[in-house]
Amino acid sequence: MNILLCCAAGMSTSLLVTKMESYAKDQGLEGKIWAVSADDVKNHIDEAQVLLLGPQVRYLLSQFKKLGEEKGIPVDSINPVHYGMMNGAEVVKFALGLTK
Amino acid sequence: MNRFLNFLENHFMPVASKLGTQKHLQALRDGITLSMPMIIIGSFFLIIAFLPYFGDDPNRQYLITSEAIRAKLLIPQAATFGMMGLITAFGVAYRLAERYEIDAVTSGVIALCSFLIATPFATAFTPDGSKHTYTVTDVIPTAYMGSAGIFVAIVLGIFATEVFRWVLKKNIVIKMPDGVPPAVSKSFVALIPGFFVVTATWLVRLLIDYLHEIGATSASSLHDVVGAVLTEPLSALTGNLAGQIVVVFLISLFWIMGLHGDNIVGTIMSPIWLKATGDNAAAFAHHQAPSAIFTNEFYGSFVTIGGTGGTIALVLLFMLWSRSKQLKQLGKLAFPAGLFMINEPVIFGTPIVMNPLLFIPFFLAPIVNVIAAYIGMSTGLVAKTVAVVPWTTPPLVSGFLATGGHISGAIMQLISIALDLLLYLPFFKLWDKIKAREETEFTVNEPNKKAI
Repeated sequence: MNILLCCAAGMSTSLLVTKMESYAKDQGLEGKIWAVSADDVKNHIDEAQVLLLGPQVRYLLSQFKKLGEEKGIPVDSINPVHYGMMNGAEVVKFALGLTK
Repeated sequence: MNRFLNFLENHFMPVASKLGTQKHLQALRDGITLSMPMIIIGSFFLIIAFLPYFGDDPNRQYLITSEAIRAKLLIPQAATFGMMGLITAFGVAYRLAERYEIDAVTSGVIALCSFLIATPFATAFTPDGSKHTYTVTDVIPTAYMGSAGIFVAIVLGIFATEVFRWVLKKNIVIKMPDGVPPAVSKSFVALIPGFFVVTATWLVRLLIDYLHEIGATSASSLHDVVGAVLTEPLSALTGNLAGQIVVVFLISLFWIMGLHGDNIVGTIMSPIWLKATGDNAAAFAHHQAPSAIFTNEFYGSFVTIGGTGGTIALVLLFMLWSRSKQLKQLGKLAFPAGLFMINEPVIFGTPIVMNPLLFIPFFLAPIVNVIAAYIGMSTGLVAKTVAVVPWTTPPLVSGFLATGGHISGAIMQLISIALDLLLYLPFFKLWDKIKAREETEFTVNEPNKKAI
């Protein structure tokens, strides 16, 4: 599954990506996990099956939900606690849950 | 406290959402972002050209003594950093058109031309030894292409794209008689919006020129008009200690709700701050003393050390002195990120978000940093900022580079980190105690459960 993450500059979410990748690898999940800045989402969303927002940019959620509806993919913001502790496992599970 | 937090969330979330998704503000931020790499590259050449000399010779100010070499080093600086206005005109128009889903490149080019239409192709020139100042025509004044022109660039970038969009929406086309190939009509369609924008800017220019000629106004170009109605009031409002503290406070306020305050408030502040850095750099490149204290780098390098809230201090405390395992682990996780000014782990992991205990130092630390750096720079003990560095540059390095290679910049950051450490210390101790107690209770109550 292709999981796209975004925050203001795509920096802190990219840290989460490495944690998510290692969990996905352990679970034998295939697909791409990557992080971009909020402004860059439009150039990447076609590749994604789910879009997750860092909690600090959740004020963009309504805008991206609209975009997600157009593209037919789920969009949500990441739990702040999982985000802060960079809990890759929980965030991957959350993404899987959204696409079910 | 909960009621207070709910109040904040209910009232600030819509504001954040409005500001964060407002098309013009987004275009403004993205447009400026476009010029950032060029500004940073230009800063690099500027820093090298004016690197201070650290040796014994009291007569030698710079490492590079040859003025000829310095002039060569400043060529790329003038064409990158020095063109930030020009680049911004294109960038803002391009990004706004992109959001409206109309032809972005065309919009950008049209805005670039309107920016040039608004700028008189003339400059004042005083020959060496002469008392008379001449007006040289047929030259593009470089001063207005840089930081001095940034607000006109933003205004015209938005104006050009809005007119462009309006013309497209009204579907103003030239009807061709039957028999004219459709492709020929289409080629005219593309011309019309550009024609409108160019003419509109031209008429504005003519009006300003006319009013100036008959003596009705002292403004001789759009640059003067925008300076008087936009740039000066905005800079006066935020270019002082009180204004700076209010801005820093607002940014922290968004962050304690877990919202990206820098992106929300910073969007409005970035042209003002960046203009201040640009003005300083221009003065510096011309061997004059930089005057602005509150610049883009003042905020980025001297206020938010290790991220908003000066959290590098808190991360150090976690890493070195926490008894709570969770905080220690967080400290180790957050330190490498914090070195590069990324502090979401500490903001959400501690958490500082919605945590009344840690609000206090999180609000106070950046304000203390503002005051400390202000004292340092206004007394002249610390060099003012003249160069733009990537915002992810680690502390000490960023202070050194942003001040144009002055050790005083790095020392100032070190002092601020020490002040922040003292400020965070009592609150850290309390939070660490709470967390450590939670952890021991957890193991006592659930002895069979393995630690995660």
